[in-house]
Amino acid sequence: MPETPRDLTWTDVNKGDIVPRVSLDITVRRLIVNAGAGWDVFPGHYDRDYARAHGHEDIFANTSLFLSFADRVVTDWAGPRTRIARRALRMSGSVYPGDTLHAEGIVTGRRQDGGVYLVDLEINLGTDRGPCAQAVATVELTH
Amino acid sequence: MAQSLVMGSYDQARALVGRMTAVSVSSGPVNEAMIKYFASAAEDSNPSYWDEEFADAQWGSIISPPSMLVHWVVPPPWSPGEPSGGHLAPQILMTQVPLPGDTIINVSVDYTYHRPVRIGDRLKMVEEFVDVSAEKTTQLGTGHFVTTSATYYTQDDDIVATQTNVLFRFSVGDRNA
Repeated sequence: MPETPRDLTWTDVNKGDIVPRVSLDITVRRLIVNAGAGWDVFPGHYDRDYARAHGHEDIFANTSLFLSFADRVVTDWAGPRTRIARRALRMSGSVYPGDTLHAEGIVTGRRQDGGVYLVDLEINLGTDRGPCAQAVATVELTH
Repeated sequence: MAQSLVMGSYDQARALVGRMTAVSVSSGPVNEAMIKYFASAAEDSNPSYWDEEFADAQWGSIISPPSMLVHWVVPPPWSPGEPSGGHLAPQILMTQVPLPGDTIINVSVDYTYHRPVRIGDRLKMVEEFVDVSAEKTTQLGTGHFVTTSATYYTQDDDIVATQTNVLFRFSVGDRNA
């Protein structure tokens, strides 16, 4: 196992801090592994003929890949002791094989709520073709 | 796609707004093998999913990635007694609202997570059909936006998370028209 990464604490974080960009190459293999991992049998995620007959260029990433990648970008930055408390994500574009999915974020606020230390974030996801999703998240950090 | 989406009219869908589903129960306990396979898809090296020693100390056990929640309560692609080939869409409420559209694309999802999901948890979910829009035309085609909400519980009825989802249920228009 690699060494456990250090966590940011709530006091380390300030409004305006940048959540650094992370990139992920999207391949047919990744989309199929991902759909299988979630028992997602919808053919748009593995059947090119189906996807093309329904308005898409190719098979496309399912919602869970957007969510899990957004969460990864947050915990790669803040550390594995981060708890995702809320995450709302809206998709505006599809992700296809050959794309590089990337995401980065910004801290939009920091607050305490009944002894819980929270940080609010905005995360932007895109490919080389443009934005594909935007998320807002609230995470609980150690203090 | 016959056994994947429930077909029907907007009026039929409208009449079901407010309806709650029966409880969906996971086919088995939350487990490390499925968690690792799922985390590998986004190449997420968070030790909460991989490193028992770290995760035990931090969370009480390896935990489920938050984004994996719905997948614990989706039924397997085929079960004994079902026709060969199985169904072709996750058998959850958002695909089971009667509407004319022959395909789907998800639009937005909003989760609030109340506690981590640990190895051995047996999850349950109840969904509510919140709303269906009048017919709309987007770049993809013509159809309806379907809003559903879900509450996830453990075997001890602890609420794990609540979720609201919006999905577009549509048919592709004539792209040469």
